[in-house]
Amino acid sequence: MNEIDSATVTAVLTRFIADAVAKTGHRGAILGVSGGLDSAVVLALAARALGPAGVTALLLPYRMSAPESARHGRNLCQQLGVECHEIDISPQIDAYFARFPAEPRMLLGNKCARERMSILYDHSVRRQALVIGTSNKSELLVGYSTLFGDSAAAIQPIGDLYKTQVFSLALHLGIPAEIIAKQPSADLWPGQTDEGELGITYRELDEILFQLVDRRLSPAQVVALLDLPAERVARVRQRIVRSQYKRTMPPVAKLSNRTVGLDFRYLRDLAR
Amino acid sequence: MKIRAVQFSPRLGDVPANLATHRHHVEEASRAGVELVVFPELAISGYHLMDLAEELALTPMSPEFAELASLSKATALITGAPFEATPGRITNSALCFADGELRHRHDKVQLPNFGMFQETMIFAPGTSFRTFLLGGFRIGILVCREILFPIFPYLYSLQRADLVVAISNSPHRGLGPEGFASTGLWETMGTTCSLFFCQHFLFVNRTGFEEGLGFPGGSFFARAGQGIETRAPQLDEATIDVELSLDEVRRARLAGNYLRDENPELALREIQRILHERDR
Repeated sequence: MNEIDSATVTAVLTRFIADAVAKTGHRGAILGVSGGLDSAVVLALAARALGPAGVTALLLPYRMSAPESARHGRNLCQQLGVECHEIDISPQIDAYFARFPAEPRMLLGNKCARERMSILYDHSVRRQALVIGTSNKSELLVGYSTLFGDSAAAIQPIGDLYKTQVFSLALHLGIPAEIIAKQPSADLWPGQTDEGELGITYRELDEILFQLVDRRLSPAQVVALLDLPAERVARVRQRIVRSQYKRTMPPVAKLSNRTVGLDFRYLRDLAR
Repeated sequence: MKIRAVQFSPRLGDVPANLATHRHHVEEASRAGVELVVFPELAISGYHLMDLAEELALTPMSPEFAELASLSKATALITGAPFEATPGRITNSALCFADGELRHRHDKVQLPNFGMFQETMIFAPGTSFRTFLLGGFRIGILVCREILFPIFPYLYSLQRADLVVAISNSPHRGLGPEGFASTGLWETMGTTCSLFFCQHFLFVNRTGFEEGLGFPGGSFFARAGQGIETRAPQLDEATIDVELSLDEVRRARLAGNYLRDENPELALREIQRILHERDR
C-alpha cells in the first residue's frame, strides 16, 4: 500500500474544499459527524479550509447508536471550535418502521443514512452551506454505502484515500485518540463493525484494492503477490463490479441528437 | 530579456474574467520593465472544456483576440486558448502576441487522450514545431504533454532555439510518500533540455481546481546549461521573474559541445531505416 505525504494531502484537500464552497456561492460547509474516523478527518479539513466559523457539524444519532459516538463527535467539534447541533433521528425513523417493519436489518441502516442525507440537505439550504461527503476510496470501490444516503454529497474530499490512508491523515491532523483507536463502524446497531460486515480487514482489503485498481494488476497477479486465497481476491473484485451503479449517474435513454449525460458535456463547476 | 511567468487559476468558461487577469498582469509587467509575460495553457478559457470549446474558441476576428493583440503593444505575451483558425476545426493553441499583433501560434500536437484526459474529443492536432524570433531570442513553444517527448524540444534545438517556453495544465496525480509523482516529470524534462539541448527552459503551469482535478502550479525556470534555478510555489497563485541572456546559451553550448557534435543527418537515416525494418 502506498504511504501518503499527509502534509501535501492536507494542503490540497483544504484548498479543494475552499474552492468548491467559493465556486458554488455557499457561505460555508455542513457535514454529518458520526464520531467515527472519516467524518472526523473531513471535519478537521473543512475547519482548516474555511475556519471553524465556516463549518457546521450535525450529529444525527439513532437510538441504537453507541452513546460514545455522539460524545466523541461533540468533543471533536469542541476541540476544533466548530458549531455543532444534535438532532435525534429516532422519532422519524421509528414512525416509519412502525408502518413497514425493518426486515431485513439492512433496511434500517439504509433508512437512517437517507434520513441523515435529507436533514443535511435541508440544513444546507437553511444555512447556505455546501454538503461535504465523508466517503473514502475503500468504501466507494466496494460499494459499502447507501445509495442516495451517505454517498450523497456535493464533494468527496477523501474519496481518493483508502481507509488505511485516512488513518495516517487523521494522525497528522491531530484527531483525538479515542476516535482513531476504535473499530470502524457504521454504528447502526450494537456491536456492528465495518470489518465484520465486509468479512475482511481494511488492511487486507486496501492492499487488494490498491493492487487491482491503482497498480492495475490482474486478480491472479494479486493472489500471487499477496499470497492470499484466490476466492478472497475474487470476492473483492466482484464487489467492485457489482457496485459500479453506485459510482455513476443514472443512465438517460438516448433519443435525440444531444442527450444529458452522454453528449451534452459540461463540468459542474462551470464558473459563469 | 526579462520574462515573467504567471501561475494562476483560470475560471472555467469565464473568458472576460480570464482576460481581465491577463490585462492586469501585462500592464503590471509593462510597468516593471518585463519584456515577455507567459500564462499557462488554455489560460483564456480553463482546461476541461468539453462542449464549451466550440462556444469559447477564439478566432482571428474575436474581440478577445484583438484585445490580446492590443495588450502586446506594451509587453509581449504568450498564452493558451482554444483557437478556431479554420471554421469547425478547434486547436489547443499557444498564442504569442508582440508589437500589437500575433507573432506566432503553436497548435498542440500531442493531445492526451487516456484516463482522465479527453483532448482528442475536443481538439484537432497541430502539425509542426516551428520557432520564432522575439527580442533577439529564437523561441519554441511546447504545450503540456509535448514536454514529455524529448524529440520535440530536440526539434527546437535543431532550429537553434535559445528558449523553450512550456505552458501547461498538468493535474497532480500519483500520490506517494514524497508528494505527487507528476511533479517530477516536468522538472526532469526541464533539466534535460537545459543541460543537454542548452536551452533556457520556462515551465508555466496553472493552479486551482476543475471538479476533482487539482492543478499544482510548480512553474519553474531552468537556465541553459545550469538546470533548475527558480521555482514558483506549489498549489498557490504566484509569479516568477527571470532575466536571461543569449551569451548564457552560447557558453552552455561551448561547455558541452553537444550541438557541435550531434549528427542529425545520421539520426534521420537511422530513423528511416528503423521504421522501414520495423514495419516490414
